[in-house]
Amino acid sequence: MDEKQVALEQIRKTVTENPIVLYMKGTPQFPQCGFSGRAAQVLKACGVTKYVAVNVLEDKGAWDYLKYYADFPTFPQLYIKGELIGGSDIMAAMYEQGELQKLIAGATAQS
Amino acid sequence: MKVTPENVRGFIQQGLECEHILVEGDGRHFEAVIVSKAFEGKGMLQQHRLVYQVLGDKMEKIHALSMKTFTPEQWAKLG
Repeated sequence: MDEKQVALEQIRKTVTENPIVLYMKGTPQFPQCGFSGRAAQVLKACGVTKYVAVNVLEDKGAWDYLKYYADFPTFPQLYIKGELIGGSDIMAAMYEQGELQKLIAGATAQS
Repeated sequence: MKVTPENVRGFIQQGLECEHILVEGDGRHFEAVIVSKAFEGKGMLQQHRLVYQVLGDKMEKIHALSMKTFTPEQWAKLG
């Protein structure tokens, strides 16, 4: 496997083995970009306390290849049960509509 | 070369027919409101993907783009 395949396999494992995964710049406590900070805030507002946050600034595979995994070129990216939900704009819009809370409730109930 | 909101608007309009488009920004962070018939029948994720596809390599010059996408029908309801 080449570097890209290894990175994509790692991403697949991460998003399928964990119900909620946020790829972001920095950490939820210390986000390194406004959009990543907003994404972490939205999850917090949804009452999510346990999720996997991957800091793409420290994960070269995700930094270089996450955009190819689900054909989405920007950070942050939220995955629920292996599916890309979207970036911070989509997260915020779905939160306002009450949709994100439902998805999260469904994902955490099963884990 | 610094990218302006007008540049971003142009990049999007080159590849996407828009009923309405508004782009604001400071050269690094941009906010766009895009209304297009091309969004009809698509979820938000597909709508955003479509805009990113239209922007292609130009996304590398655009540090950060926040967007709100609407179909003409949704936009009309917002009044």
